[in-house]
Amino acid sequence: MNPASPAQSATVSSAPAGVPAVRLVGVTKAFGSGRSAVHALRGVDMVVPGGQLLMLVGPSGCGKTTLISIISGVLNADGGVAEVFGVDWSTLNGGRKTVRRGELIGFVFQQFNLIHTLTALENVSVPLLVRGVDRHEANDRAAQALKDVGLGERMNVPPSSLSGGMQQRVAIARALVGQPRLLVCDEPTANLDGQTGQMVMELIHTAARSNDPTGQPRVVIVVTHDSRIFHYADRIEEMEDGRLKSRPSQVILDEAKHIPHYDKPSPDSGEES
Amino acid sequence: MERIAIKMLVGDRAKYLSLVFGLAFAVLLIAQQGSIFLGLMLRSTGFLQNIAQPDLWISDPHIRYIADVRPLNDHDLYRVRSIPGIAWAVPFFAARTMVDLPDGTYKSVQLIGIDRSTLIGQPPDMTEGRLEDLRLVDAVLVEESARPKLGHVKVGDILKLNDKRAKIVGFCRAKLGFESNAIIYTTYDNAVRFTPTGRKRMTFILAKAKPGEDPQLIAAAVNRLPDLGAFTLEEIRWRTVQFILIETGIGINFGITVLLGFIVGLVVSAATFYQFTLENLRHFAVLKAIGARTSMLVKMILLQALVVGLIGYGIGVGLAGAFSLIGRKPGAELAVFFPWQLMVVSLVAMILTVSVGSLLSLRRVITLEPAVVFK
Repeated sequence: MNPASPAQSATVSSAPAGVPAVRLVGVTKAFGSGRSAVHALRGVDMVVPGGQLLMLVGPSGCGKTTLISIISGVLNADGGVAEVFGVDWSTLNGGRKTVRRGELIGFVFQQFNLIHTLTALENVSVPLLVRGVDRHEANDRAAQALKDVGLGERMNVPPSSLSGGMQQRVAIARALVGQPRLLVCDEPTANLDGQTGQMVMELIHTAARSNDPTGQPRVVIVVTHDSRIFHYADRIEEMEDGRLKSRPSQVILDEAKHIPHYDKPSPDSGEES
Repeated sequence: MERIAIKMLVGDRAKYLSLVFGLAFAVLLIAQQGSIFLGLMLRSTGFLQNIAQPDLWISDPHIRYIADVRPLNDHDLYRVRSIPGIAWAVPFFAARTMVDLPDGTYKSVQLIGIDRSTLIGQPPDMTEGRLEDLRLVDAVLVEESARPKLGHVKVGDILKLNDKRAKIVGFCRAKLGFESNAIIYTTYDNAVRFTPTGRKRMTFILAKAKPGEDPQLIAAAVNRLPDLGAFTLEEIRWRTVQFILIETGIGINFGITVLLGFIVGLVVSAATFYQFTLENLRHFAVLKAIGARTSMLVKMILLQALVVGLIGYGIGVGLAGAFSLIGRKPGAELAVFFPWQLMVVSLVAMILTVSVGSLLSLRRVITLEPAVVFK
């Protein structure tokens, strides 16, 4: 586990007092109906306090992506309660949910999901423009966000002329430019080589260690298969068949160390140019 | 976000150009085929296009179109002249005849015979020679575009019209008729001589109301005379157009062509725009996920549709306009008429096309689940 981790073995029972960043109670979700229904989530309970970098791990099809979709409000749960910073998503209509999502959450995707006809700077400015921020101010803040991820010199090029690692850094800048309180990352290192993946995780880890605009510690949830990055987690939750397995994070991490490609980063890990 | 929408649109050059040119082609087809259709309709009115002086065109009352005429007697002219309120009434002759060319071949020509004394019915413009020389013996004027058709004739050359000698005394400019035959002007007397006919020789009587007299009342008076009908220019023009549209099948055939152009353009453009949206669906889902409301995405798509539609419309109408300029050149065989109403029709067609394309796209974007960003 990361040495700076404040909550190495946080569990539902150890949720902090006050309003948690994420609170899930009995969340269920099924796709389809009748006999052909696929039960992606079968009653998930989870509390994520502020300042935590949580990793959701588990085999393909276990419900990880469905879970973060519900947490981030892009998918409705069939049953249970899904609250983010004290707001139950099910109480918001489509428009209010969209606006709140834009204010609270930043996204990093496996496929980067950058708009290839825009420059890196324009891509990063989009979340601000969506919120109605003036174009010049949006550009200034986007430029700063790109500098923060080490791409100050490449901001006016389209994503297609950047390497995979650089594109993911642009995506991280886009996710962070709006100062989200919750950062949701779906397989952020899956399409990257080991060294670049570590570089990207360093940025995500740094984001997790910084405060959001309200002065509260930011929350980061990472869905991953990549055991090489498990050590960045403050807490690891393992999913199987739509449920959380109640295994301590340290056990999962210890197991990952026995996987041949487990690779703790060296302090001077770099990235391709 | 408008800038972002535009950059999303134009950033992918290949798709953007295929969209623009798909629309431009649709508009071009509609405007160009429409302008040819209107041009042909205008041409179908033949020599009517060149004559503006009379208030009334008097002929057989059952006339169906300009070239389908039962000639009048000479004494019909005197009957018309006797109607109170008539300022003048002059004979007018129009018939198709043959001209022998020096190389042994022959050509059909439209022979126009106008009143010798007043020269009413004269060509709109003279390009060489004097109009008054038409009063000389055997004199004819040849319409400019007929020069090459008649073997590059010049002033002073002799033509043979039905074996009768005709001397070219000048050239003029006039609009061609439906068959695009060469037009030859002469006096009424010469025309009758060049083209032997029966007892009835007069194609039309051209009449003018006295100042202050109502041409409609005079027309009613003419209509009361046996075997005579009076028409205004618009009435006779409309009879001709109706005949061409309904009796010849040209209307339905051109209508189908224009409709097919519209349908092909609509389907291609709507499908291309829809495809463009589908390919950007993931980006729209990302925008939705990061806080863009559906109304914002709707505005973006409508803006993209409007931009691509207006550019496509501009190119299409521009090309159709350039095409019509070619058709307006003197002597051009192309019959083109491009009024502003046709531009409006093309604009409506374009709006309909992009509306269909953007409605399909909007349906997908409005129902789009942002959760697809994780797939």
